[in-house]
Amino acid sequence: MTAAPALDVSGLHKTVHVGFRRRPVEILKGVDLTVSPNDVYGLLGPNGAGKTTTVKVALGLMRPSSGSVTLGVEGLAHVGYLPENPYFYDYLSGREFLDFCARLFAIDAGARRQRVDELLRDVSLEQAADTHLRKYSKGMLQRIGIAQALINDPQLVLLDEPMTGLDPVGRVEVKRIIERLHERGKTVMFNSHILSDVHELCSRIAIMREGRVVWEGAVAEALDEAPSLEDFFMKVVTA
Amino acid sequence: MNQVVAIAVNTFRETIRDRILAVIVVFALLMIAGGLWLGSISLGEQGRMIKDFGLVAVTGFGLIVAVFVAASLVHKEVEKRTVFVLFSKPVSRAAFITGKFIGLCGTMAMVLAGMGLFLFALVWIVAGQASGMVLLAVLMIYVQLLAVVAVTIFFSTMGSAILAAVLGICVFVAGQLSHNVLALTRLGKNPITEALSWVVYVIIPNFSAVDVKAGAVGEQTLAWGQIGLWTAYLLAYIVVALALATVIFRRKEF
Repeated sequence: MTAAPALDVSGLHKTVHVGFRRRPVEILKGVDLTVSPNDVYGLLGPNGAGKTTTVKVALGLMRPSSGSVTLGVEGLAHVGYLPENPYFYDYLSGREFLDFCARLFAIDAGARRQRVDELLRDVSLEQAADTHLRKYSKGMLQRIGIAQALINDPQLVLLDEPMTGLDPVGRVEVKRIIERLHERGKTVMFNSHILSDVHELCSRIAIMREGRVVWEGAVAEALDEAPSLEDFFMKVVTA
Repeated sequence: MNQVVAIAVNTFRETIRDRILAVIVVFALLMIAGGLWLGSISLGEQGRMIKDFGLVAVTGFGLIVAVFVAASLVHKEVEKRTVFVLFSKPVSRAAFITGKFIGLCGTMAMVLAGMGLFLFALVWIVAGQASGMVLLAVLMIYVQLLAVVAVTIFFSTMGSAILAAVLGICVFVAGQLSHNVLALTRLGKNPITEALSWVVYVIIPNFSAVDVKAGAVGEQTLAWGQIGLWTAYLLAYIVVALALATVIFRRKEF
């Protein structure tokens, strides 16, 4: 018997209305994808392909026009999310921010303190724990963003461009975090334009173009069809 | 409930750490102290003058804090995209709106307590006796401003922050005048204008009914029963405004 998917998106359409005349723009035109438990899944595609919108609909930040999204976990209490180009409360310190996020999950005080310290250590922000977020660099914000996404020890982790703005050291650290999550049986789905990272981390990928998934499969399958993931990606999105 | 408390504490921190708030409070205290000068040029009415001027200053500056902070609370979260962090967690829109309101209530309590105690001390020093009525008047200003905060949050879920602030001020001003406007239109005996002013009287909270400034300066005897009833009405008004804000905010996508 196969386990239920960690995330199942089926026939997902999303239309938004823009401008004064409320002109309809179809962002998602029938997205289908399935993320299995313990997968590290890469969602790829050029800008405007609908990757972020798919994730937002999955999280309930946007409502689907039609189609369905099924989370394989019981509600958002078991999901972690890092938004693209995250901006957080700049009047809080890193520690206060993580404590605030932990309170949203009703984690009790003792466990909260322990979890916050553990995550600050994992993302190498112990030294800056009591510095206000307004003084954080882009890379530090990205790392605190990853920490807040993991505060509830989620089963399903959705990361939107987690490597953006990170220096090489930061990128390595984030990759290690994703690897550790995989080792601990978690499911990770992330959007990225950095195909070398996708190649290194992902077991399966989906490539989106103009609101549709145009290819979904194992990274190994993609590499059977092209010498590199970059070549395969170009072949699929320009076809 | 945990989420409401977390959001309320965070909102309190956000607003209390805002430097503009400190500047407004300093200005308010200077303005209240300015009542000393006005008192010195009045003939034998120094204590009354300080109370009168001080309570107007507390109302004015309290209103500025209430509308401008309330109008930007929800907008800031949407514009800076911190809502992504909140609503990707098990946080309901009702908990968000309620938490924001309670957090700002805490900030307003600090601001008004600061201004009120300063005025109380000033009156005590100048008049030589403590006036509990000053503190009560500040408490009733607080109740009025909480209704303004709730209404402004409601407007901010529908339009821009500036529009919400302007509408919040309009509701406050209209709420001070609605009772008089209703009385005036009744004198005119025109059924249409009377009906219109009755509609406005029902929709806009009647702030003048809980305004005890005149009582604090000794111009009027206060009808406590009526003030209690109108206070209960304002609290119900707050609940309705927040419920409507939640309904509208639930429809929003990010």
